[in-house]
Amino acid sequence: MELLHANQLTKKYKENSVIQDVSFTLEHGRCVALLGPNGSGKTTTLRMLAGFIKPTEGTIAFNDESLSRDFRQHVGYLPQFPVFYDWMTGKEFLVYSGQLAHLSKSEARKRADELLELVNLKEVRKLRISKYSGGMKQRLGIAQALIHSPKLIILDEPASALDPIGRREVLNLMRELKKDSTILFSTHILNDAEEVSDEILLLNNGNVIEQGSMHELESVQNTVTLKLAFSDEPKFIEERLKEIESVFKVHRVQDDFLLTVHDLQTARKQLLEVVHNEDWQLTKFEVAKTSLEDLFMKAVKE
Amino acid sequence: MEINRDLILLLLPIIILQLILLSIAIIDLIRNEQTNGPKWIWALVIILINIVGPIIYLIFGRRP
Amino acid sequence: MQWFVIFKKELLENWRNLKWIWVPIVFILFAVMDPITTYYLPKIMDAVGGVPEGSIIDLPMPNAQEAMMMSYGELGMLGVLLTVVIVMSTISGEIKSGVYEMILSKPVKFTNYVSAKFLSIMLIIIISLALAIGTAWYYVMILFGTIDFTRILMSLFFFTLYFALIVSIVIMVNTWIQSPGLVAFISLALIIIFNVLTNIYGHILTWSPALISDYIGEYLASGVLISELWYAALMAFVFSIVCLQFAIVTLRNRVLH
Repeated sequence: MELLHANQLTKKYKENSVIQDVSFTLEHGRCVALLGPNGSGKTTTLRMLAGFIKPTEGTIAFNDESLSRDFRQHVGYLPQFPVFYDWMTGKEFLVYSGQLAHLSKSEARKRADELLELVNLKEVRKLRISKYSGGMKQRLGIAQALIHSPKLIILDEPASALDPIGRREVLNLMRELKKDSTILFSTHILNDAEEVSDEILLLNNGNVIEQGSMHELESVQNTVTLKLAFSDEPKFIEERLKEIESVFKVHRVQDDFLLTVHDLQTARKQLLEVVHNEDWQLTKFEVAKTSLEDLFMKAVKE
Repeated sequence: MEINRDLILLLLPIIILQLILLSIAIIDLIRNEQTNGPKWIWALVIILINIVGPIIYLIFGRRP
Repeated sequence: MQWFVIFKKELLENWRNLKWIWVPIVFILFAVMDPITTYYLPKIMDAVGGVPEGSIIDLPMPNAQEAMMMSYGELGMLGVLLTVVIVMSTISGEIKSGVYEMILSKPVKFTNYVSAKFLSIMLIIIISLALAIGTAWYYVMILFGTIDFTRILMSLFFFTLYFALIVSIVIMVNTWIQSPGLVAFISLALIIIFNVLTNIYGHILTWSPALISDYIGEYLASGVLISELWYAALMAFVFSIVCLQFAIVTLRNRVLH
């Protein structure tokens, strides 16, 4: 089911377009990564979706008409650099942001307790936020985004600035959250996108260049890479490999040969046949997954 | 001598307020982990400059 | 109610950063400084003996109203300065630190945000002014002579409106710039320009809020509330609303970078 549709969003600051004609659809219950290099307009896009900056042109429409007016009520947002009132305790801040989103005090308290448990900050709930570590602040930021049970959770670079432990905590938390909510998060770290998202929006220079699930994006590529190595390297191996019908590119990286093939089934059969017939000492035969990185590099370069 | 005693009695509330101001500034200085500039300088300012010292600290000394 | 939530948060913040304690104390000290030193100056000079033999110092003792006006004068100068300083970062500081983005991502109405901040500051200012004027009145009564309680109460009311205008101006400037220091500087510049213009064209601008403290002086002496004082107070009120409305509109149209 469709949650919202962004139609030809454009944001201009003075004359510069930060975002140009960005259109996409978010489905209910999906975890979508907004991927792009720094300065590609990720933050601006998220802020528009969070409802506190207005697009210069274009529209954001929720499937439910009634949500569209001030949809901040239905969106939870974590800024890239979350800053709190340092003089408050973690719990006080959560209750405060819940009340700002029109929860009653008792509702906000109850919800805050649940979330403190969820993001594992229960022990430090009575501590001033000024004493929190970076990872704790990030988790508190996620909790405040969830406080009013929003329909859409928007996280701007939730894990990028954290140390490995903090990053792990946040990614685990996101995996937990995506079970029952719609998440849109931005990142420039491919691994993070690969790890938790169902779907990827690739953004560069203010344009969406690709959208789809990991699987779909891979099939767009339409090729598979095989990795081969031999213990006793036969002569003219590169030339010989190229002769094989289904292999259309051979590329050597140290002792490994990277073969680009179209159809994995045929290529495997043909290759193993040749290896068998020629009695090559095969030590490695690997089907390398198309990494998001290849995709990313390819898309960004175009 | 009479005048001095009267004066002190009259000024007593003011002196007390001044002491409260001084102690608030000192407590805040101790409680805050970070101040704008070295702590010991602020301590001197608060203690040595009457009334104005604590005020200046409370306005400019604390980090937002 | 969202407005009340923000208002209570501001009160709590000002309690935790001790403004609720030190601002009233400082206002009181400003207010009593002048009447007390004026009263004791001749005696102190006598005691110190710094006066050459034979010279007669003839410092006329002010009457009760004049002494009271000294307090208003100090509050009108130093009190205004302090007010500017405590308001200078109320919004600009939140924008600068980034907590504003967090707050903005919740469905916060700008009207609630600005007006709750305004009234929470006004509550401190009103209580500080009341304590300051009250203490000054006490000392004036002991040292100089009596003044009606009603006159004190009425003058406090008008003076509060003048401060409401000051706070509104600083809040308006808060929405223009992110640097608290610059906010203070520009606000003070505006207030000074406003006062200078009133001084130059005082005969035309008889409704100018900058004249409120002059009118209070006349009222304390005569006990007659002239209509100009009411109009000046009304202007202070209207201008406050206008400044706050400006602040709300500026925030609404603000580009976030």
